[in-house]
Amino acid sequence: MATGVQNQESVPKYLKKQLALTVRNIQWSYAIFWSISTRQPGVLEWDDGYYNGDIKTRKTVQAVELNADQLDLQRSEQLRELYESLSAAQTSPHAIRPSAALSPEYLTATEWYYLVCMSFVFNIDHGLPGRTLSSGQPVWLCNAHCAESKVFSRSLLAKVCAVVTVVCFPFSGGVIELGVTDLVLEDFSLVQWIKTLFLGAQQAIVSNKSIHVSGNNNDLVCPALDPLIIDTKLSPILGCEHLETSFPDDIPDGLEPNQPGEDSFLVQGIDGGASQVQSWQCMDEEFSNCVHHSLNSSDCISQTCADVRNIISLDQEEKNYDNSLQDVDECNQIKLASFDLQNDLHFHAVLSAILKGSHPLILGPRFQNSNKESSFVCWRKNGLVKPQKARDGTPQKLLKKILFFVPHMHDRGLSESPDVNGVRDAVWRPEADDICGNRELPERKRREKINDRLMILKSMVPANSKADKVSILDGTINYLQDLERRVAELESCRELTELETRTKRKPDHVERTSDNYGNNKTTNAKKLYSSKRKTPDADEVDDEIDHVATKDGSTDNITVSMNKNDFIIVLKCPWREGVLLEIMDVLSILSLDCHSVQSFATAGILSLTIKSKYKGSSVAKAGTIKQALQRVAWKY
Amino acid sequence: MENSSQESHLRSDNSVTYESPYTVYAMAVSSTPSPTNLSHQSIALGSFLEDYSNRVDIISFDPDTVSVKTHPTLSFDHPYPPTKLMFQPNRKSSSSSSSSDILASSGDYLRLWEVRESSIEPLSVLNNSKTSEFCAPLTSFDWNDVEPKRIGTSSIDTTCTIWDIEKGVVETQLIAHDKEVYDIAWGEARVFASVSADGSVRIFDLRDKEHSTIIYESPQPDTPLLRLAWNKQDLKYMATIQMDSNKVVILDIRSPTMPVAELERHQASVNAITWSPQSSKHICSAGDDTQALIWELPTVAGPNGIDPLCVYSAGAEINQLQWSAAQPDWIAIAFSNKMQFLKV
Repeated sequence: MATGVQNQESVPKYLKKQLALTVRNIQWSYAIFWSISTRQPGVLEWDDGYYNGDIKTRKTVQAVELNADQLDLQRSEQLRELYESLSAAQTSPHAIRPSAALSPEYLTATEWYYLVCMSFVFNIDHGLPGRTLSSGQPVWLCNAHCAESKVFSRSLLAKVCAVVTVVCFPFSGGVIELGVTDLVLEDFSLVQWIKTLFLGAQQAIVSNKSIHVSGNNNDLVCPALDPLIIDTKLSPILGCEHLETSFPDDIPDGLEPNQPGEDSFLVQGIDGGASQVQSWQCMDEEFSNCVHHSLNSSDCISQTCADVRNIISLDQEEKNYDNSLQDVDECNQIKLASFDLQNDLHFHAVLSAILKGSHPLILGPRFQNSNKESSFVCWRKNGLVKPQKARDGTPQKLLKKILFFVPHMHDRGLSESPDVNGVRDAVWRPEADDICGNRELPERKRREKINDRLMILKSMVPANSKADKVSILDGTINYLQDLERRVAELESCRELTELETRTKRKPDHVERTSDNYGNNKTTNAKKLYSSKRKTPDADEVDDEIDHVATKDGSTDNITVSMNKNDFIIVLKCPWREGVLLEIMDVLSILSLDCHSVQSFATAGILSLTIKSKYKGSSVAKAGTIKQALQRVAWKY
Repeated sequence: MENSSQESHLRSDNSVTYESPYTVYAMAVSSTPSPTNLSHQSIALGSFLEDYSNRVDIISFDPDTVSVKTHPTLSFDHPYPPTKLMFQPNRKSSSSSSSSDILASSGDYLRLWEVRESSIEPLSVLNNSKTSEFCAPLTSFDWNDVEPKRIGTSSIDTTCTIWDIEKGVVETQLIAHDKEVYDIAWGEARVFASVSADGSVRIFDLRDKEHSTIIYESPQPDTPLLRLAWNKQDLKYMATIQMDSNKVVILDIRSPTMPVAELERHQASVNAITWSPQSSKHICSAGDDTQALIWELPTVAGPNGIDPLCVYSAGAEINQLQWSAAQPDWIAIAFSNKMQFLKV
């Protein structure tokens, strides 16, 4: 790995200190000294630098003791060290990566920018440093992140890393580059000042015709189509505004000599003519102006899709996996994918080599039909204004209707199970296996319990052949209703026979049970049924009368006889204060309109004869009335 | 770029809009050339009218001129809105003539229709109930593309029914869940998965009808899962959406109950999901936020979640989404009464 050793002979050893002082004084982010490479003539490469930008953490892999002086230089050293270790890993992937003090995940974006810059090389006359050297004039680039890649090849890198202003000026046979993450408007006096004050440049290089490139936030670039741009229409690049701090870790050796006359590109193994730079335009709020002079047309060779495909497939083949850091750069691959890679191949080339393999998939479908642009636009993190919400506020309205309501529009049996031929097309009920145990076990137990109970029910309920839960429950409901009906019937029959056999009861014959109703349900009923009634008002009897007689063994009796909607209630119950009122209340609740009431209270017994008419809408049942009255009358 | 609060800017060479006389929900894109014109693709659109009489129309899409053509004769009535429409997948067999396509619709029953050049003939009505009283309406179905004679239907009576449509009989029926089943998707020839109101995703294998496997349950118990999509290119992955949720949950069937990813960039509930017919890593989702997002699933997700690749904003909540299998760079979406065919 090329170190600064050889080059530094031509540059004063205290250059680093000078750079450090310069950058710190003007409070910029970094300073880089590009010098002519000794290995490759005519090429500017990274020589030395000082990093003064944001640092996320001073944490290092190994704890390093420092004093205050060393701290300043240390970061830059560490970054350099990291770069070297990464490129060593790149060239020999199977070797154990030499440990660097810094770990990649601790770096900020600006540090990454600085780091990546170490890999760049520039031909004389190409790229910002190259042109600076050849022209001998300082260059001030504002809005570097929006610059065209013709002008500033690392513009997308700058955009990603939020480097906004870059200034280059020639010095001592090389180029000093200063960069900052803020926008600083051009001021060549600053350059001069730096030069004279810190770097001891005596001659005034600044001339009036200093080349500058500046951006202008308010204009929109006219999409004057550069004839070199390929026929694909270019969509704007809406990349991430900032890169996550976990960034590529795999920086290949930047000195691949096989690309002719190009700015830095780090794709390995690409065949000679294939790597090209495609120019692009920012058609967004921000844009960059391009000064077209002195640009070598070889900078932007139009790219055909076929070539891109070649590159993509080649990238795909070269996957140099560094296992130890795989998790880190997946994040970046996503970020990468969010760029519209179709249009900026150079950036893709730069980063795809850095990242582990490219994403042909994102390009694959797009390249199917490169003639038409997609209706979809690249997603931007914060770019989208909150879209309109559902107008009437119900989420998933149509979907819910389709699933919840439409099936019930078919108003045949909704929850009925399909009629299944039990022999052949048995309905299977698979037992659900919950693979991931703990949380599911109580749930499974609960289900099993439910199933067990249902089986028991099924066995109790006759005439139910179907095995599914719904029909078991249905059968049970039907059976219960059936039973209730039967019991009511039997009950009435039994009471009637009681009435027959019973003579006048003595008032003091006490056999009260508090829960009369329930107990007597299960007694045997005599099937004797007489059409004779035992109510006082015999002259109102018709043939269709329902008798509901009293229970066993109680002196208190209640008879409710029904003739269509007319009810005659004969009641004997122990007298207590307010019982009559309560009875009348109950009757009115039951929609019985009492038009005749006769009551006697003797020896603590209330005898009541009530004639009433049922005013309710539903069918009235004598049994219900009787029950209600019993509850009231024999309440204690 | 346009103001993103409005619809995406449409150009005539990368999208086409068809305006239907009624709200559209069910939609199907044919995977084989249209009977009317071999270079065209048929699209079936089911109406959504809260009424008995609904219609299904077939239109054809010409990718070269990027236009749609309506065929007034290719249309049929359907009782109540069809809950799903689907064309026969990958019809390659020589048994069916090249001039017709088969469309299946679900509603009260599963119905098959033959789409011919100028007419649609009903082929069969697949009714499982022996008596006419009981029918369990279907919420969804899926046509097995490996075994095209097999269709699986999901119903609100908690069962899934597997049909052999060539013979027109039920292959088998399973009580799949404890509550209504809302969606079903085939994985292999004999394996399918379903989601239900009980909030679980279960996989069933027809070779072992006694057992099913729960591979995911919604975190809040009993929150229904409404839709399911199985990645046909990579059968390890499935996607599902929950009721009232803006997340698309990606599941790996090898690691049950833990979703592989939760794609949470929609700003309102998600209505539809569909995997790419070609690439195993891409999925598209659409929701009430009027956006259709295309996602690419990375091998490993970053700390802040996964961002979509690209987005399309329609003018209204997008209810339906289909990624054309025959033309994988076109996606069809349906919102209110419009259907749009978009270039990816």
